[in-house]
Amino acid sequence: MSRQSLILGIDTSCDDTGAAVVLNGRTLLSNVVSSQDSFHCRFGGIVPEIASRRHLEVINPIIDEALAKAGITFRELDGIAVTFGPGLVGSLLVGISTAKALSFAFDLPLIAVNHLEGHIYANFLTGANISFPLICMVVSGGHTSLIYMKNHGHIEILGRTRDDAAGEVFDKVARAMDLGFPGGAVIDRLSQQGDAAAFSFPRALMNEDGKLDFSFSGVKTAVLNSIRRETEKGNRVKPADLAAAFQEAVVDVLVEKSLLAVRQKDIKQFLLAGGVAANGQLRKKLRQRLSAEKIELTYPPVELCTDNGAMIASAGYYYLRQGRLASWDLNAAPNLEFGGT
Amino acid sequence: MLLLAIDTTTKICSAALGDSKKILAEYTLNIKNTHSKHLMPLIVSLFKDAGVDKSLLEGVVVNVGPGSFTGIRIGMAAAQGLCQGFSIPALGVMNLDALAEACSFFNGLVCPILDARREQTYTALYKNGAAGPAAVENAAALSLEELITRLDAYDEEIIFLGDGVDVFREGLKTALGEKYREMPYSSRFNRAALVLQKGIRTWEKEGPVSSYALRPFYIRLPEAERKLREKTREEA
Ligand SMILES: [Zn+2]
Repeated sequence: MSRQSLILGIDTSCDDTGAAVVLNGRTLLSNVVSSQDSFHCRFGGIVPEIASRRHLEVINPIIDEALAKAGITFRELDGIAVTFGPGLVGSLLVGISTAKALSFAFDLPLIAVNHLEGHIYANFLTGANISFPLICMVVSGGHTSLIYMKNHGHIEILGRTRDDAAGEVFDKVARAMDLGFPGGAVIDRLSQQGDAAAFSFPRALMNEDGKLDFSFSGVKTAVLNSIRRETEKGNRVKPADLAAAFQEAVVDVLVEKSLLAVRQKDIKQFLLAGGVAANGQLRKKLRQRLSAEKIELTYPPVELCTDNGAMIASAGYYYLRQGRLASWDLNAAPNLEFGGT
Repeated sequence: MLLLAIDTTTKICSAALGDSKKILAEYTLNIKNTHSKHLMPLIVSLFKDAGVDKSLLEGVVVNVGPGSFTGIRIGMAAAQGLCQGFSIPALGVMNLDALAEACSFFNGLVCPILDARREQTYTALYKNGAAGPAAVENAAALSLEELITRLDAYDEEIIFLGDGVDVFREGLKTALGEKYREMPYSSRFNRAALVLQKGIRTWEKEGPVSSYALRPFYIRLPEAERKLREKTREEA
């Protein structure tokens, strides 16, 4: 395929409205994200109805902006890729309905992208040379999974969380510590001044032979109990110490399981993806351990770790090459899993 | 002037193609199935079956509510996307105004009632004039009792339509007696043709708007917002 392929990617899976244009799946031409954090912080979490209302107001201008920044018009596009799940159903429907209408208007292929796979593809926008087969760890507010990819479109789940997702636990601990919303970035920053040895929190499922599943509800409960116990005793907990110890417990599990997976599969490439992939400690530890194993680690820049349209456009390009097109009766799939269609 | 009309605000999913003289094609589903699945196939079929080139489309008229929050958004996102894609203007039509169009022949009062859940109805009141139905009571979310109080002020026949009829019929009949009339079921419910008819009227009088300026008419705040306000009021 010598021809240049331009894909518009749209993501409205949760609270951010994203639109982006990507060339040949690899080159980011524009990436516009309208964050709703300020709309939801009053409620201490995302309110689905408010998110859906906001998506409807901003989606069309955001798409225009993405095209303008890329310096192209709709007519130059080769396809429209949109997240169809998983996510909040009301939010997903705004993106899907918009994408269908635009695809119809311009006779463009409609590409329905699995948001989880989209996160993996944020790595294809880094300029790094990515070789298959590979393992990708997707860590976000909704997921913690180890994925084996033999090639584009060939996905095997090696392990997943049995309870809370890592990002979800970051948010819950941040809320219990009154650090605000969203919590992941605050804990990451705070940890840098803390002593991780000040508390000892459990590392779950580390001793089960070869098992690649995760569990984070134990560490969450332990942290919440510590906060309560120390407050009851009248002790002043140093938030930085608590954050550092908690973060280290989570990162340790993520890194050890990643190494375990790497040893079970013959791969040379490891990808990190999802909102928690922005965590500085996780990146650093994983890099140290994987380089010792001579495995290439790639992770997206921070702005592509969170939800965005660019990763959907990149994934969409590879879907299109595989001939994976959606039809007009495409519906939202709020509980979509990896590999699900 | 070729217009596309969309109505996904209730359990009915409906789309129509037409102008000020006729409805060229209309598809209406009342199968409680998801609108997101059916709306676009209906629209695609309209153009195909009517043998109309989509590039001839001059505008989109959409029912902006009140109704199901998700339903409103599916229709509006489609309408806004089509307008953005074809570079054409739009027009938002209020749900109750559209329903009133079905009774533009009636000499008494016209009262559309929509099932708003939580034992309420989205309703307004209309009187027909030379320019079609004109509102004499504004849209509101009312309980049956509140609606009856509102209607008590009028001493005329009142014709009811909308999906609230099946919910509130007995209560209204009892309260209104001889004044109560209702549309037969074949023309009692939402249809895109009514949205088109109302849209054309407004279009010719006031002109269309940019699709970017379209806003949904939810009437109600999101549940979380309502609760937060109640809490702040209690604390104050
Ligand atoms: Zn995500």
